[in-house]
Amino acid sequence: MVNPHPHRRRNLRVSGVVALFFLAGTLGAQKPTVAPKTFGDDYAGSEMCQICHEDNFNNVTHNNAHRVLDTDPRYGFQGHVCEACHGPGAKHASSGDISFIRFPSKLSAAETDKMCLNCHLNQPTHAGRIQSTHAKNAVSCPSCHKMHVNGGAQLVARKNADVNALCESCHANVKAQFEMPFHHKVPENAMKCVDCHNPHGTVRPTMTQTFAASEPGCLSCHGDKRGPFTFEHAPMKFDGCTACHEQHGSANPRMLIRSQVRQVCLECHANMPAAVPGESIAMGVVPPAIHNQNSPIYQNCTVCHQKLHGSYVDRFLLK
Amino acid sequence: MRRLAFGIVTLAILAAMPRPADAQQTVAPSGLIANNASAPVQAAGASAADPTPSTAQGTPAAPATPASSANTATSPASTPAPAPTATTSAPGDSTPAAATTTTAAAPESRPSSESWVTGNVDVGYRWVATPGGSFATYRSVVNLGSGPKLTAVDLTILQPSRRLFDSMHLRASGWGGDPYSTFHLDAKKAEIYRLNIDYRGISYFNNLPAYADPLLANGITLDEQSFDKHRRITSINLEIHPGRAFTPYVAAERDASSGTGVTVFQTGGNEYPIADTTDDATNLLRAGFRSAFRHFDATFEEGYTNFRSDQNDLTNTTSTGDNSTPVTGEKLDLTSLMQSYGIRGNSNYTKAIITSSPVSWLDVYAQAMYTVPRNTVNYQQYDAGNLVVLSELLFYNSEQYLVSSTTRFPHTTANVGWEIRPHHRVRILQSWLTDRMTNTGSATQNDTLLAAGATASSPGSTVLQTEEALNSSLTYHSSQAETNILVDAGDGLTARAGYRYVWGTANDAVLPADGLITLEQDGLRRNVEMGTLSWRPTQKLFLSGEAEVGESGGTYFRTSLYDYQRIRTMGRYSFLKHWQVSGDFRIMNNHNPLAGTSYKFITHQESVTLIYTPRSKTVSADATYEHCGYHSDIMYLVPQTLTPSDSVFTENCHRISGMFNANIKGPGKRTMTFEVGGSAVLTAGTNPTTYYQPTAKFAAPLTKNVAAFGEWRYYGFGEVFYEYQSFRAHLATVGLRYSR
Repeated sequence: MVNPHPHRRRNLRVSGVVALFFLAGTLGAQKPTVAPKTFGDDYAGSEMCQICHEDNFNNVTHNNAHRVLDTDPRYGFQGHVCEACHGPGAKHASSGDISFIRFPSKLSAAETDKMCLNCHLNQPTHAGRIQSTHAKNAVSCPSCHKMHVNGGAQLVARKNADVNALCESCHANVKAQFEMPFHHKVPENAMKCVDCHNPHGTVRPTMTQTFAASEPGCLSCHGDKRGPFTFEHAPMKFDGCTACHEQHGSANPRMLIRSQVRQVCLECHANMPAAVPGESIAMGVVPPAIHNQNSPIYQNCTVCHQKLHGSYVDRFLLK
Repeated sequence: MRRLAFGIVTLAILAAMPRPADAQQTVAPSGLIANNASAPVQAAGASAADPTPSTAQGTPAAPATPASSANTATSPASTPAPAPTATTSAPGDSTPAAATTTTAAAPESRPSSESWVTGNVDVGYRWVATPGGSFATYRSVVNLGSGPKLTAVDLTILQPSRRLFDSMHLRASGWGGDPYSTFHLDAKKAEIYRLNIDYRGISYFNNLPAYADPLLANGITLDEQSFDKHRRITSINLEIHPGRAFTPYVAAERDASSGTGVTVFQTGGNEYPIADTTDDATNLLRAGFRSAFRHFDATFEEGYTNFRSDQNDLTNTTSTGDNSTPVTGEKLDLTSLMQSYGIRGNSNYTKAIITSSPVSWLDVYAQAMYTVPRNTVNYQQYDAGNLVVLSELLFYNSEQYLVSSTTRFPHTTANVGWEIRPHHRVRILQSWLTDRMTNTGSATQNDTLLAAGATASSPGSTVLQTEEALNSSLTYHSSQAETNILVDAGDGLTARAGYRYVWGTANDAVLPADGLITLEQDGLRRNVEMGTLSWRPTQKLFLSGEAEVGESGGTYFRTSLYDYQRIRTMGRYSFLKHWQVSGDFRIMNNHNPLAGTSYKFITHQESVTLIYTPRSKTVSADATYEHCGYHSDIMYLVPQTLTPSDSVFTENCHRISGMFNANIKGPGKRTMTFEVGGSAVLTAGTNPTTYYQPTAKFAAPLTKNVAAFGEWRYYGFGEVFYEYQSFRAHLATVGLRYSR
């Protein structure tokens, strides 16, 4: 039977999704009911810490994301925000001896991370953590996140210039690459490192951000290169943009890995096609003899092969 | 977008304007924090959901010591935000104690006009001296212009009443015709919502003479492959109830570009430069929720993208193209062209992420992503002139070429990993990742060539008509499994050893076959061993070394990693209280020994950084020097002869950057800031290049809230082999900064 009002079903579906969205929001608004944690005599309480560490206390409890430790019973440190990270502080408070308090900055990276992940493990940002080179190379959370700074927005650098300075403090070589004439606009602070990289790790190599689930983050800004193309240029899909471009900066035009376009192309397109499929040593066949390299017209392949990122129309990527 | 941004900012400022009622409300929280140390906890703990105040936990309320009283005066300045207790307190929480502190605090409350907005606004004017040398290259590399600029806005708006938001951070830069302008807004209301809006507009000009004109050596300037586009990227993210058990979120992103350029119409062994207009947009709408529990978290996200790309190339001007050589005595030309691409696409994706810590010694991560982009394309081409099908020496006067195609590209990515801690000093990280994509496309091409007389009334005779259906397929399956063992050996020493195996297959085919393009098929197998040592014996010293060795049994492309070694060492040392020196050395060597490839690639970088930051900050300085080397040598086949030859690319570069900063007391004891520095790049090798960017800046306060600033910058770019692409330019900017 023909549905005389097909749009109603669609409207119903949309309404259902919207209702579900707000229902989830309403559910989320409910505070979990967890029995308050009881603290032993070895805990001092935040107020005790405040007496001597007023500035840090104020910074953490005023407009700082970690103030929820002090107010939200879910985390189990209600009224003990300082001791959530620094450990039980009663002995330290009574004696003033710093050996009785835990200094995260003096712990090993693994111990520090474990402490932070007590609360932050179950967050989607850490889903790629296993692949993260930061996690593997002893770069702990406080390397980038400053706990005592005032203002929640400053727990980690947010401004483009601040983020870039933070990353450059370790990645000096990358900073130098951005000083090349053709570069992404990072030194100008129009971009920041985390626009392209997720420091917590992703499923992509070099912790590259993703776009639309799993595609390379480059496509967030270069959407016209996304495709899918009817006639793909395979390296775009397999190796990504860095197969031909220096992603940070280059002395070569258009941030290419070689100074001449034909070098970029011919270094791959130098395989005779395999007599038997599957026996070739690599992908990328040699161009036909018409491409006389003595003629300047054929020295820049992109003059004719304009759609080298992939074509919707032509198998040779000409148009 | 500008209207939206203006509207949001106006709304925010209006909403944040303190009303008399707001001013009264600000008294309580400020005073509460400043005068009674136990008050915040009391108020927070006394919520309806958790009736147990902190005092009931056996922790005595701290007395108001002289120290804390002394801090009362500084607290508002260092903490402009009203205390969070104002919102976390339940309506019925007005205990006598709280009432007392509120009353006591009243005289010390801040003036309401002081705290609700802080930050700075910078406006200025930039002069660009007419660049010497190639103006096209200057625009391709720098592209900064003269004129009034809104150089920076950085505002923090705190709404005392917290009706609409707790805090709002607003940043903007580069407005007033600059090639990259940004706008960013963060607004949040604790546990209610978090909103981020980001916009950036990037002008993308590229007209490099040596790149754009293949015939420049002949004095012909065609500007092919040049473009002048403007890209606008907007994203809006909204989270509802952030930090709660269920956090729904919704986001919208838009990436749009439009502009003009010069492209090439290629036919019959000739290329004709054509004016080109492009207009594309990708819209992404995504929504999902995060659910967070004590030992388990799940995120589910559904997304939809919509893609549109139009490209139109039009000309009615006769052109002889790049190739002016007659073909069998006939001179070729193009008299008119209409070429139009209409591309429409969409995709939907699903993403699910699970993280869990079921027991104290185990963390588990898993995520799965599935996306299906689809595109449909209509291409129309009408061209006229004296044209030829070179392979058949078939001359014609007009052509109608129509193509319609569709593409579907399902793509699945899945990843599972876990961290096991069998001992408090030992961690084992294991992960498995798979990435699978299959692109299937089909295109129908209909090409009609007509002889002279191609008008509406006299269509002319058909010279050739071809119709072809093509099917394309690209398949890529890749997986990797990795295990790492990390040992915390004590005394700040951490060691890691790992192994990764990567394998996959790829197929690329277009059928029916044409010429040399047939089915291409290949596989990847790679074994990688890794190790890291990092040592931080004291806070002042950090050393780290990392090595990775890979061996491949097959790879997709000739220049891909094959047998490679990668080493990186890094060190940082603080000395004499205010000095820090750090060094970085890395080298990578890749070798593909297969016959017919013989690829050798080596790159290395050595850098040293010196930083001087005294506590007084009267002067500070930093300097970095880096040397890099890059050498690539690969065998290739010269297309016209199929004889082997070597493609060699080398680059040796020196990069220096630094900045010296001085803060000097000026008239009225106001601190003036001077900065001098910049960067220089010198490369030698295949494409010797120099690029200098010295700069000098100053900032001088004029009044309490207003400061003058200025900047001079020089850009000098030169290429030995393409001198006509060199340029140099002086830029000067002066402006005023208003801050509060």
